[in-house]
Amino acid sequence: MMEQLISVNDLTIAYPMADGEIFRALKRISIDIHRGQVVGVVGESGAGKSTIGKAALGLLDENAVIETGDVSLGGNSISGLSESEFTPIRGKRIGYIYQNPMTALNPVLTIGEQLLETIETHTDKKGKSARAYAIELLEHAEVTEAEDRLSKYPHQLSGGLCQRMVFAIAICARPDLIIADEPTTALDVTVQKAVLDTLKKLAKQDNIAIILITHDMGVVAEICDYVYVLRYGGMVEHGPTKQILTQPKKDYSRELMAAIPRIDKKLARFAVPGGMSKTGNRQRALDFLLDREERSAIAKGEPLLSVRNLSKTFVTPANVVSAAKEFKAVDNISFDVISGETMGIVGESGSGKSTVGRMILGLHTPDEGYQLTYHGKDLPVAKSRAERLELSKSLQCIFQDPYSSLNPRMTAGENITHAIKAHGIIGRTAAHELAGNLMELVGLQRGNVRKMPHALSGGERQRIGIARALSFRPDFLFCDEPTSALDVTVQAELLNLMKDLQEALGLTMLFVSHDLAVVRQMCDRVMVMKSGQVVEIGDCDKVLVNPDNPYTQGLLKVMPRFSFDEAR
Amino acid sequence: MLSFVLRRLGQSSVLVLIMSILVFVGMYVVSDPVAVLASDDFTEEDRIALASELGVDRPLIVQYFSFLSNVVRGDFGTSFVYNEPVLPLIVERLPATLEVAFLAIAIGLCIGVPLGIYSGLNRKKKTTKTISLLTTVGYSIPNFWQALLLILVFAVWLKVLPASGRGDTTTLFGIELSFFNLDGLRHMLLPAINLAIYKICMQTRLARSGTQEVMFQDYMTFARAKGIPRPRLIRRHLMRNILIPIVTITGLELGGLIAFSTVTETVFNWPGIGKLLLDSIHNADRPVVVAYLILIVMMFVVINFVVDVLYALLDPRIRYT
Repeated sequence: MMEQLISVNDLTIAYPMADGEIFRALKRISIDIHRGQVVGVVGESGAGKSTIGKAALGLLDENAVIETGDVSLGGNSISGLSESEFTPIRGKRIGYIYQNPMTALNPVLTIGEQLLETIETHTDKKGKSARAYAIELLEHAEVTEAEDRLSKYPHQLSGGLCQRMVFAIAICARPDLIIADEPTTALDVTVQKAVLDTLKKLAKQDNIAIILITHDMGVVAEICDYVYVLRYGGMVEHGPTKQILTQPKKDYSRELMAAIPRIDKKLARFAVPGGMSKTGNRQRALDFLLDREERSAIAKGEPLLSVRNLSKTFVTPANVVSAAKEFKAVDNISFDVISGETMGIVGESGSGKSTVGRMILGLHTPDEGYQLTYHGKDLPVAKSRAERLELSKSLQCIFQDPYSSLNPRMTAGENITHAIKAHGIIGRTAAHELAGNLMELVGLQRGNVRKMPHALSGGERQRIGIARALSFRPDFLFCDEPTSALDVTVQAELLNLMKDLQEALGLTMLFVSHDLAVVRQMCDRVMVMKSGQVVEIGDCDKVLVNPDNPYTQGLLKVMPRFSFDEAR
Repeated sequence: MLSFVLRRLGQSSVLVLIMSILVFVGMYVVSDPVAVLASDDFTEEDRIALASELGVDRPLIVQYFSFLSNVVRGDFGTSFVYNEPVLPLIVERLPATLEVAFLAIAIGLCIGVPLGIYSGLNRKKKTTKTISLLTTVGYSIPNFWQALLLILVFAVWLKVLPASGRGDTTTLFGIELSFFNLDGLRHMLLPAINLAIYKICMQTRLARSGTQEVMFQDYMTFARAKGIPRPRLIRRHLMRNILIPIVTITGLELGGLIAFSTVTETVFNWPGIGKLLLDSIHNADRPVVVAYLILIVMMFVVINFVVDVLYALLDPRIRYT
């Protein structure tokens, strides 16, 4: 019926490890793709998804060994080709959209050079006509001021714009196949929608085949015709999208879907294992945490933190060509966080949601004229060391990136207790004991205390981050996108854990996220922000289900839905 | 940018001041110019006369401040030994040293960087292992001994290159240069090679580690995925990214070569400033040593400034405020 474009036959790729073991990134995988078809490859990190894309482009690491099978393009095997034989295929016949747009572009070359060199290599357009074509491509990708952007460097553009540049580079030679590796993971929902629409259009109008590598079932439901589900390098199942989504044969596919936070109804817990450790002895840590001193007489239901007229203006200093620029990141916002609740802040990147949190933590100084009241006292507290320590004991933070927020030279245990040791709250032996207790509480083995962060997975590291925040026995946690760098199943486990902890400890949380569904699952009330201003504030059940504000309505509309009937 | 330049200038004047004090005190402690310059048959009166003629009979602090006030007026003093103003004495010998230093750096870059990139790209090849072995050897050979070997091989056995002296020079804008005539170039070659061997090894290692690091970056994988031809990939994408550490080290090394090529200049009897410094320390010729080191400090400041400007040109993410 349709022309078979690329097929992966029985492919096994192995990496010899340092200890003589062999790690197989892919095990006997077969995939077929026709022109005009959008094929999804789904799985968690470590499933071998990206390896398929790299194998098709000859970009595997030097030590990778193809044990069985091959990849063939248009009937010819391409897996044995040398680097120089692969070069004409790359970009020309197979375009590649890289996972992280911020690192995919060379930081020291202009956007224009990186786009033009690709055009000049693969098409007969040179010089001026190549430039005109580049501008046309960018305008096609809805990049404003395209001509001007060509002279910019990657760090001068936002993630969304960089992603469109990567897009333009991938499609400039009109390839037969595009491999898109997590093309939307780093993007806001509105941009994600635009990217997915473009991909869909490319497949339908230009008859280009697309392999979409993702961990997000929602994205799959949105645009894929056919899905392959991978786990640990092996094929779990495959079939037309509708069949996989509605009648998955394997438990794992079902689990993957259950782990996706739903926007339509709030669940008590996600249907995946994870949460507080059931095996370890968590009572010791809980006793320790519940033994915290009462900080004030604020009853449940009263505002623990109240924010009035909070603003933050960032100033870009003047330089030779332009005058100083002011940028209002947060513009006169007011809200309360009630004791014992979880308050969510949602918004796209650049909406100022993280800045709000950073001002509450005292990491940024707000503009004059604000009032922050916490535990009945005005922030920032008086300059005395003891009072500041008192505040940081009560107000702790969980950061976005579990990879960079832990000190790589300290063991997991030291990371957890370093700060309280530094404040002299606890001695060496007690700290060691506490680290172990807290690790059991957050669902890690006690023995991991001595491991270095690099030996732990992203989810495990974020658990360490949570344990670290808890070590102070706080009653308020500020969570800045705590799961956005993690796989869906890991995210579900962590969110379960945070819910368990909140229940057990009666924590108050301020939860920042760009993911509406996560906020829906985690929060009692939510504040929607746009360009530094509050758009809407209220109960999640209302704001994220039946919002009054058109902006929130728009956000909800562009969200990918994983439940099949709603998407189509 | 302007405030950056001004701040840099302020910092370097303090540096120069501290340097001059250190050298002044150091030279005072180490040797006595009267003892070195006086002949055996000098009487005590002759010695006192000589000391007052040189101005070294005054307290050190007085000497220092009179030196400072002269420097402000552009006078670095008069050499005890040559009895000439110090500045022309140094400047006259500078071109010889500069020529050899630049040639050595150029050889180091032209051979070292390509070798390093090659080894970084082909980590498993035999040639890479050979290169790695050779750079280790090149690093470890003592400079003077290597100089003697070069003389032995090229001047004594093969008789293709002269062993010492500067040879013919061409005068250009009043400066004597060896660069523009064959005899001068031939004389320059052995000292330059002697200095360059260490630089080649260093640049090779720098370029190799840079290449290995950059090749694993996402943007290199993506550039390969775009189907960019290999030569362009290396020339634009790789080179631009590994140049920053190379530029840093090259700047420091150039300064080092100009200031402290003393051993090489001595072995090859090359009339540069390194040799002047050695002689002056030997003769307790304090004005020359002090002026020389102050000039060297200023030179390092200029070189580092140029390096910083090059950074900003090479990496658009760096901007000075």
